[in-house]
Amino acid sequence: MLQYMIILLDDASTSFCHYEVPSGERRLIHLDDLRAAIRLAMIENLTIQFVYPDYELPQEYQEVIDTIDHSDIKPLLAVTPDADVVTINGWEIDNKSLSGRVAVLRTAMSELLAHTRAVKDLLAVVQRLNVVITDLTTLTDTNREAYMHWLNEVGQTVVELYINGQSPQFNLLTDRMMLAAMNNCGAGDTCITLAPNGRFYVCPGFYYDDPENDVGDLRRGFDIKNRQLYKLNYAPICRQCDAWQCRRCVWLNRHTTLEVNTPSHEQCVAAHLERNASRQLLTSIRQKGTFLPDKPEINEIDYLDPFEKLQER
Amino acid sequence: MDDIKTTESSWQSGIAKNITFIVTKDCQLACKYCYLVGKNEKERMSWETAKAAIDYILGHEADFPEASVVWDFIGGEPFLEIELIDRICDYLKTEMFRLGHHWFNSYRFSFSTNGINYHTPAVQAFIKKNISHLSVGITIDGTRQKHDLNRIWKGGGPERGSYDDVVRNIPLWLEQFPGGGTKVTISSADIPYICESVLHLYSLGIHEVNINVVFEDVWQEGDDRRFEEQLFALADAIIDGGYYQDYACSFFSEHIGKPLDPEKENQNWCGAGKMLSIDAAGTFYPCTRFAAYSLREKKPIIIGNVRDGIDRNKLRPFLTLDRLTQSPQQCIDCDVASGCAWCQGENYDAADTPTIYQRATAICLMHKARVRANNYYWNRLFRKLELEGEREDYESNKRTVEPQNC
Ligand code: SF4
Ligand code: SF4
Ligand code: SF4
Repeated sequence: MLQYMIILLDDASTSFCHYEVPSGERRLIHLDDLRAAIRLAMIENLTIQFVYPDYELPQEYQEVIDTIDHSDIKPLLAVTPDADVVTINGWEIDNKSLSGRVAVLRTAMSELLAHTRAVKDLLAVVQRLNVVITDLTTLTDTNREAYMHWLNEVGQTVVELYINGQSPQFNLLTDRMMLAAMNNCGAGDTCITLAPNGRFYVCPGFYYDDPENDVGDLRRGFDIKNRQLYKLNYAPICRQCDAWQCRRCVWLNRHTTLEVNTPSHEQCVAAHLERNASRQLLTSIRQKGTFLPDKPEINEIDYLDPFEKLQER
Repeated sequence: MDDIKTTESSWQSGIAKNITFIVTKDCQLACKYCYLVGKNEKERMSWETAKAAIDYILGHEADFPEASVVWDFIGGEPFLEIELIDRICDYLKTEMFRLGHHWFNSYRFSFSTNGINYHTPAVQAFIKKNISHLSVGITIDGTRQKHDLNRIWKGGGPERGSYDDVVRNIPLWLEQFPGGGTKVTISSADIPYICESVLHLYSLGIHEVNINVVFEDVWQEGDDRRFEEQLFALADAIIDGGYYQDYACSFFSEHIGKPLDPEKENQNWCGAGKMLSIDAAGTFYPCTRFAAYSLREKKPIIIGNVRDGIDRNKLRPFLTLDRLTQSPQQCIDCDVASGCAWCQGENYDAADTPTIYQRATAICLMHKARVRANNYYWNRLFRKLELEGEREDYESNKRTVEPQNC
């Protein structure tokens, strides 16, 4: 069931996820479309998340936006006290401005591995950090090892923060400990995106790939064909996986395997390295005291890609 | 009593890797039902491309663990490229030997031909050289009328059927391949000719007729009834004429028309993804049906090429596809689901989005008609065998039918 509507206020709205925003001209959504979208969200009971560009919106837009309860995703440059989620591209980060915030850090793998200190510092100040690795599909055996060590090293910092009474949320390490079931992106299933052209998309990535990828528009309504394929039950590999924190990015799936319900080897391996690092983290925290007593241990497993397990059957 | 003849299971079915060279997109004929929408005279495989494909495949033995291999040559009409094919097969044999490849003693060359060039010296020399490792199927649709309805010569001028040009080669073919079978494809206009066509093929000495209705959405209202009537007539003719002893027709199979267990019988039907198809440009496809020249609506699904090898991520959807995930609820609940086939390529081509996970069901009423006729056939045949005291003998000697769909 659809629960969320993401509204890209402009073609130049910031990316909060795996997809890239092509550098191009600004195109603000039409004010009438914005009104129609808000009305539709009210009718369909959808929670709206607005995604902002890095410039100030005209006053009348802000007034329309404020007619509905919503959350705001804004780029770091445009941070105002009301941003619920802040997106960061790059490493010149003023940590103070992010204190207590939810931050999305978009980075290439090599950059991430080279900025361990910066990530640790961020974790100490933010309420939640989501790291999005933008070149996940190029994961190799070599950086796979390095990523594993990196996760364990940052995990040590997370343990220390917990000992100090902080409880940072970090998608790559703490989500798996907290979850009790799959919690993935939801694009096409629980979540739909409205682009500035007034048409709907499975996620912003599909819009930026090709505006003809739409799944309906404000006049026709939603028209998600083969909608079942966005659900976990229809994803043969993912439905028997326990890397519950995984994004299960259907946009990456479409790019790498051509099917929205089938992940690439690299996406699975990365998610399993995170899962295994979470396992280690949970054990380490529990050695220091009682922690999440209701949650079972995370099992040790001997694969990094559930596809391989499936093929053995 | 002799064994009742059933269609021969395809060679090493299930354990053999099937590797297809699309050697040409040209053909002498312009069959009206031909699914190859992009046939042309220009795209012929070069020796360099064929060699690069072979070097890649044989050089990656661990990626091809299947015990056996079927090297398949298709077109267009493959025998138009007999010199290239001969060179490919010689190279395959020497390379498999030189590398000590596990396929060296377990390979087969397979051809599906329109039969027109079968008698030519070049084709005959090739056949004689490779006969112990060869399967050749000639496509003939049935009676002259039925065959010439669809299988016509290419080119301008008045329509000219190809029946005589094929049939003259049947005796030579059957002499060289006594168990040779033929594939017949039924579309809407062919329905009235089914019974007489199968009997005609038997009369030509062909003992195995692999016959299927097309998967495409071509059916008209009432086709299922007309189809069923043809199959009733065919059932009577086979039983009354005693053909069931030595001849087989894939329409009749004991194992179709039953509900399927959601857990134990959840496999995919089609082998796409477990096969590999290579075109003239050296592009790899999961099956020929995913090449551009076979698709009406969709972009080709390319899984690699001879230079970069196979992108294994592109194979994952094929290798994890199961019956339930792609089937609509009506098929999951269906009481006669067994034997109701699908073609992954047609599913993809007909789907609402670019996915192989949406099963096309254009065949639904035709399958149900086939099930009714099939029930009739086996009930009649078994009763006859019982009355003649032959049933037990049959049960102990029976062989399973391996229907071929592609
Ligand atoms: S499909 Fe989901 S996870 Fe992937 S880019 Fe889109 S929003 Fe992000
Ligand atoms: S790790 Fe792989 S199988 Fe598991 S949820 Fe993520 S994408 Fe799916
Ligand atoms: S297509 Fe029709 S006959 Fe075949 S399984 Fe589905 S419901 Fe049954």
